[in-house]
Amino acid sequence: MGEVTRHTLLRDGGFSQRMIEWVGRNTIAGYTYLAALATLAFQSFLDVVQPNRQGRRESLQVLVRQILFTGVDALPVTTVIALLVGIIIITQAGTQLPKLGAGGMVGSIIVVTVIRELGPLLTAFIVVGRSGTAIATELGNMSVTREVVALRLMGIPISRFIIMPRMVGMVMSMICLTLYFDVVAVLGGYLVAKAQLTIPFYAFLEGVMKALASSDVVLTVVKGLLFGSAVAAICCHHGLAVRSSFTEVPQQTTRAMINSFVLCLLIDVLVTVPLYL
Amino acid sequence: MNEAVIILEQVRLPMLGTPHRLAVDVRMGAGQFVALVGPSRSGKSLIVELAAGLVSPEAGRVIVLGHEWTADVSDAPNPVRLRLGTVLQQPGLLSNMTLFNNVVLPLQYHRESMSERDREHLVMAQLERLSLAPMRDRFPAELNQGEARRGAIARALMLDPEVLLLDDPVAGLDAEMVLMLKAYVEERQAEQALTVIAALRSYSPFIEKADRLILLRDGRVEADGPRAALTEVVAPTLREYLG
Repeated sequence: MGEVTRHTLLRDGGFSQRMIEWVGRNTIAGYTYLAALATLAFQSFLDVVQPNRQGRRESLQVLVRQILFTGVDALPVTTVIALLVGIIIITQAGTQLPKLGAGGMVGSIIVVTVIRELGPLLTAFIVVGRSGTAIATELGNMSVTREVVALRLMGIPISRFIIMPRMVGMVMSMICLTLYFDVVAVLGGYLVAKAQLTIPFYAFLEGVMKALASSDVVLTVVKGLLFGSAVAAICCHHGLAVRSSFTEVPQQTTRAMINSFVLCLLIDVLVTVPLYL
Repeated sequence: MNEAVIILEQVRLPMLGTPHRLAVDVRMGAGQFVALVGPSRSGKSLIVELAAGLVSPEAGRVIVLGHEWTADVSDAPNPVRLRLGTVLQQPGLLSNMTLFNNVVLPLQYHRESMSERDREHLVMAQLERLSLAPMRDRFPAELNQGEARRGAIARALMLDPEVLLLDDPVAGLDAEMVLMLKAYVEERQAEQALTVIAALRSYSPFIEKADRLILLRDGRVEADGPRAALTEVVAPTLREYLG
């Protein structure tokens, strides 16, 4: 009986074998997925730098629309979220740190939490929620209604007409929105929380400026660039992965949103840990 | 036969959703009007998609305008594609553009040296011929099925292709519009050397001027020849497709 069980396990694969297969399969799928995203981002980069000017005007029109939607239209919601985050952080730091005799650390806390981390991440989450999902849905619908195929049939490369303008628009918007988020969160948050703070505005500002290095601003821009590229690539990839049914559109959009959040956090860890650990 | 512009040589391909396989060996000559007719799932659309380079045969060769054609999934510019005008069952008008912008798009992309005024003149001339001029500023969602289909045909012909591939071009068109579309295609054929390959699922006056009819069933060619000659030889079940 024991012999039979051992033979059955060997033939069908035991739990550990199935686990190894599962890990292997998912590792390969993960690498394939990341390679597809990198290909999309790289193709967009090539489309930006290559000298062939064919279709530049049409791509520019799509780019302007993307910047308006992702960047300009997102200003109100970004302002509100930045203000609220700024109020929370500045109120906590401004009221708690002086009690510990570390009132001079308020500037550093603001720079570390808002400018280095929360600004880029929360801006990325806003952009994913507003524009990333919109891109995935739009491209998914275009795939189902065969608009993407129609473009190919007209000899119009979708990398240049669809992907590149969305990628560039999202990167530019992400960088500008992140910087805007940081400024609003720090200054606006201080102004709103002023009633509770004992620190004078100029002392607060001086503390922030002293703690803020030029590398922090560069890092914010780099994060905006990386987050923007990742979110645009993921959302375009999932939108174009829709094949023939409208029911696939929300499924792919959800995947795009979740994967965007995860990849942004992963990129943040990969950028932050080597620099500050 | 004139020089063949589309050759499907011993093509074999599974047909999704049916137990049958497409198995055809046909040549279509330059300047011809070829109608592919037959019941649903007989392989008409698949032949159009093979000729358009959207699918690859499992076996055999597809040669279009002298070039061996394989499914072109890459974005690389392909000069053969610009010599084909294709309208699939779904017209594929870009939903975020007006009808005018949809039709002018191929010119904007591939005829950049042409002035705005010339482009507009050219597009409006085609829209007027297809009774679409009043709808120029409407978005695809505001067009009915027939208007969207005619708009897609106008767009497919903007670059003066040598071959026009149409998949079910008369779907959603009333009788008057079918006759108008037929006249339009005839005029375009008279103006330029245009080969027309049209897939139709039922008889339509649109095929009356066809030089050649290819009757398909279950992925195989049941009959091939001029309409008048076919009427006498095909099975009674297929005669309804001949009118």
